[in-house]
Formats: sequence, structure tokens, C-alpha cells
Amino acid sequence: MELSLFKAEVDAWLDANGRELTPTFDGIGTLDDQMDQLRKVMRLAYDAGFMRMGWPERVGGLGGSNLFRAYLGEALTRRDLVEPGIYSMPEVLAPTMIDFAPADLAAEMVPRLLRGEEIWCQGFSEPGTGSNLSSLACRATRTDGGWVVRGQKVWTSLAQYAARCVLLTRTGTTESAHRGITALFVDMDSVGITVRPIETMHGVPEFCEVFFDDVLVPFDRQLGEVDRGWSIAMDLLPYERSTALWHRAAFLQLRLEQLVAVAPAGALDPTGVGEAVQLVMAFRARSRGTQRRLAAGETLGSETSIDKVLLATAEQAVFDLALEGLGPAILSGDDPESIRWRAEFLYSRAASIYGGSAEIQRNIIARRVLDLGDEG
Amino acid sequence: MEAADLELFRRSVQQTTSTAGGAELDAVLAKLGWLDAVAEDHAAAVSVLFEHLGLANTTSAALDELLALTMGLARPLDQVVVVLPALRQTLPPGTASGGRIAVHGLGTHAAGRRESAIVAVTDGPIIRAVAVPLAKLERRSTAGLDAALGLHEISGDLAAGDAEDLGPVDWDDVVAVGQLALGHEMVGTSRAMLDLARTHSLERMQFGRPISSFQAVRHRLAEGLAAVEAAAALLHAAWDEPTPNVAAMAKGMAGRSARTVARHAQQVLAGIGFTTEHPLHLYVRRTLVLDQLLGASTELTRQLGDHVLTQHSLPAAFPL
Repeated sequence: MELSLFKAEVDAWLDANGRELTPTFDGIGTLDDQMDQLRKVMRLAYDAGFMRMGWPERVGGLGGSNLFRAYLGEALTRRDLVEPGIYSMPEVLAPTMIDFAPADLAAEMVPRLLRGEEIWCQGFSEPGTGSNLSSLACRATRTDGGWVVRGQKVWTSLAQYAARCVLLTRTGTTESAHRGITALFVDMDSVGITVRPIETMHGVPEFCEVFFDDVLVPFDRQLGEVDRGWSIAMDLLPYERSTALWHRAAFLQLRLEQLVAVAPAGALDPTGVGEAVQLVMAFRARSRGTQRRLAAGETLGSETSIDKVLLATAEQAVFDLALEGLGPAILSGDDPESIRWRAEFLYSRAASIYGGSAEIQRNIIARRVLDLGDEG
Repeated sequence: MEAADLELFRRSVQQTTSTAGGAELDAVLAKLGWLDAVAEDHAAAVSVLFEHLGLANTTSAALDELLALTMGLARPLDQVVVVLPALRQTLPPGTASGGRIAVHGLGTHAAGRRESAIVAVTDGPIIRAVAVPLAKLERRSTAGLDAALGLHEISGDLAAGDAEDLGPVDWDDVVAVGQLALGHEMVGTSRAMLDLARTHSLERMQFGRPISSFQAVRHRLAEGLAAVEAAAALLHAAWDEPTPNVAAMAKGMAGRSARTVARHAQQVLAGIGFTTEHPLHLYVRRTLVLDQLLGASTELTRQLGDHVLTQHSLPAAFPL
């Protein structure tokens, strides 16, 4: 299918089904509200065939390029039908399954994810393992019946809703660093898993602590080879900075347009607006280039760290501007719109922290893109 | 342009710009058929040529020829100089009134060696182009911040009969194309400055190791690369539909990014970069002047904000 035809069909479908797709809550709602909305939109988009476009046929998709996925997420975001952060999680999780899971497992599971029937989470970070992912300690021990997992993860988005977890575990010695990591696909209802949501600054408890107390994971739930889990993490990180970021660009563009429309006259400094517009449009242009390279079959790599740097810079510029233009609403408003602006302003503070901090992205650019050699 | 043709064009331009400048470069570019390349693929030809002009820190009449072509003037254009607005300005450099034409603007390096000036003139509600022999105008070579750029101050007060009327021109379009070209040239100066700083950081030893191993230095260079890639992406996307607002946005971003790169590169190059024994200063000078030609980034950014505040929409869509 041509992209232009797909766009027209998606737009027509969104126009025709506006009532059913629209959230039933005002503003940002609760996280439960957002999750219900996400599942509903994904199911409807899947049933209409759109959610299957751009995914391989062997996992229930209809084939075609990643541009279909990029556009669908953009169109849903532009209409405020989904929160792009939680909507984009399959953009990271599904490629991992497609590339590394046993074929029958991927074929069984990925459609559930795309249909909104299941939420999945990604168990990477740990209390002692933030930027330095290769130091992770959550251990998997081989037994006759399968892997037994013991340890803790943190910052695990949506773990309280998740049916499955793509989990990185330590299978080598403590000193084995990136060489002794194995990826597992874990059922979240397994005996021994405890999930504790974390109260965040922006009021949405989307991150969790996850505790594993001798959790049994069958051998057929192993992703990739034993001790080779690092390559899975490295392979999926560029995904985290491609289609998901295109969706985020659409979100920033929308909020910036809404901001200039609702801010009281004179509340916004034109230079600040101009700078934010340049940053958002440059980020969008950059991300579009990345989408097109992916569609052309190129392998994405460390250069996508530039995309992430541009996202964090643009997002914080947009919401700094929002605080300037909508100060009273963000500081003291209690209506749904004000609450949403406040939550999103606060969440923008995390844009330079999550998904690889601003410093880590600059380290990657320095080491891998500028080829500056090792740090001292 | 086909990928193979584009690559050939890129290689030829790279070789040409790194070995020649001024009239010699103009001649080689003419032989290369660069204006044909522009006619065939505006975005590719302009971005490749001007980025390399910036990389090489060289001078040519390419901007004059590009603007003349955009005005719809018939070729050959190899004797043409297009008078630019004064620094920071974007309005036509000429004003017609009472049978006379007042000219106040800038000439490029080529104004020192060519004889026919094209001047865009505001004439009541329309903007028209006129051709004037440069000899009939005041032409003063200026050194200024970037002597090698060879800008000229051009001024004059002519009888309308001394100028050949070339008809109305779409001046907004001329400015837009010029802004994009200058934006690409600043991407070139940015890449050159970043490369100089990178090389220095790998070679300069302090505390027994290259300064490139210090995170503070690495992050400045990474920040510079992110800035230049943002500007380059915006410029390339701007060619989708280079309306005046989009082109001004892209040039404003390119100017701001280039100044960011200049600041980081200057800091990394430290003492040696502050001397004329190292080429950095040439690029810093060029960047600061290019930023002010056809609108300065500070002004373009504020105007963009004003426009968006009035229109409640962003100037471009950049669809997938």
C-alpha cells in the first residue's frame, strides 16, 4: 500500500469513528483511565487493520514499512487520542521479540501486544544500575526446570499493568559485565513477582519497582542466546530513538500549537516562541530523516542519540515556554486542562533523564559518532 | 538528481571548493554546470555547493548567480552581481521614487571583479529587478570582521533611465532561496569548526592524556554535533516547500546552531584557536557575518515567534 493511501484511510477512519475513539475523561485522567483508553484505541485500530501495518506477517502484521507505524502513532497523537509515551512502548518491545524470540513465541505473543490485549514492560534498570546498564545484578540461575530469577528492577514502566516482561538478567559472573547477560520473556503473573508502583513528581505512577523472588522462567522463554543479552539491549536502543520519537515530535508540535493559541496575549516572549518552534521543527525534521533511513533498510545506530538529545532539548523548551505562558494555570489551576499542563510540564523535566540521560547520549555521540576514543 | 549523479556532483564540488576561490572557482563551477544542477534539483545542488563553500571557507559568485537564477534572469549570469540588502536586512536594496532609484546594500566578493549589478527595487506596490553597470554605483570594498569574505558596500542614486528594467521579481522567493543557501553555508562552517576542534582535542595532551578523554570536552563537541545536525535536518526539510517563513526559520536555526558550534569549538581549541596561526578564526569570522546576511538569527527567531503567535500554527508540516 502507498503511504499516501494509508494516511488518507487512517484519517478517514479517525474522522468517522471520533465518538468511539475519544477519551471518556477530561484532561489527563488517571493512569487507569489512560490505560483503558490506550487498550481501546489499539484494539479498534487493530481491528480496522491499521495497527497491523508495518509489522511483519510472521507476527500477525500486514507487512510494509515502518512509516505506516510512524504515521498511525502521529495521527492518534495529533488528535490527543493516546499518550505517545505509553502508546509507543510496542515500538521497542515488539522488534525485540521479532528479532530474538523463538518464531512460534513471537507469532503467539506479538499480536496480543499490538491488539492492546496485553501490556508488556521492559525490565532493564535496577537500583544499582542506571546509566551503567552492563552492571546489572538481577540473577538468573539455571535449574533442571528452567531459569530461576532473583533480584530487583526499577523504573519499569507500566509493570502494574503488564502481562509480560522483557527482562535482562545476570547469568555470568558479577565481573562478566556486558558479556554475562541473558534476556528472558517473563509472565508477570508468575509466582514470586511483586510490583510496587512509584509515586512520581508529575502524579502519574507509571514507573514501578519489580521484585523477583525465585521466579521460574521456562527455557523456551529465553530471548537470544545465553550470555548474549547485551546485544539485544544494544539492538533495541536505536528503536527506542526512532518511531517512538516521531510520535513524540507530533506531541510536542501539538502542545506548542495549543500553547500559542491559549496563552494570554503578551504572556509569551516572541523570541522564546521562535526558539521553541525552531527546536521542535528541527527535531521533527531529524526524526523524519531517521524514519526514512529505517524505511530504506538502513540499520540505525549510535547516531540516533542525536535524535534523543534534540527531543529532550525541544521538549523542555516547549514546556518551559508553557510555564511562562500558562503560569497561573500550571501553578494553581485545578481544572482538568490545568492539571494536564502541570503534569506534562513536570514530566518534561524527565526528558533528559529517561531512555538514556542527556549525559549518556552525549557520551555515546562523543565515543561512537565523533570517534573521540575512550574517556579518561 | 540520481544518487550516482549527486555523488559525482558532490565529489566535484568538494575538490573544486577546496582548491580554488574567487573568479577561478566561478569558472570551474560554470564548467561543472552547477546552475544546470540547480535547475534539475534545487535542494541537492544548493545544499551540496553551499555546504562545501562553508567547509572550505572560500568565496565565489555562487550566491549572486543563484539569486539571479531565482529572479528568472536569462543566462549567462557569469558577469552578474546581485546587490544584497544591508546586514541584518531582508528588504530590497533599491527604492524607486520620483524617477530616481536609491540603492543601499552589499555586494559579495564578486562585486570586485564583475561589472553588472542586479538590484531589486521597491517601486510602489511591486518589486522589480533592474540591471545597472556597477560603474554607475558607489562600490567600496570593506574589510570588517571577515576581510577574506570581500564584501562591498554598494550605494547610489540613479536616474531611472540609467537602469535597465528587467521586470517584476518574486523577492520573497529570492530571499528564501538565499537564506537556505546561507544556512547550508553555515552548516559547512559549523562542520569545519567542529572538525578542527575534534582534531585538536585528539592531539592536544594535558595531564598525560589527550584532552578528548575529558568529559567536559567531549560533551562540548557532542553538543556541537547535535546543533549542526539539527540545523542541517531543518534546512533539508525546508526544501519540501521553501516558503518565506520556512526558509527564515531554517536560517535562524542555522545561525543559532553555528554560533553554538563556534562557541564550543573556540573553547576546545582554547589558546591556539585564539591565534591567527590556526584557521579557526577564519570560520568564526565567516559564521558571524553569514549569520547577519539576509536577516540575523536573533531577528529571524523573534519574527518567527511573532508569526506563530499571530497564526497559532507552526510554519511547516514536514509530513512523512
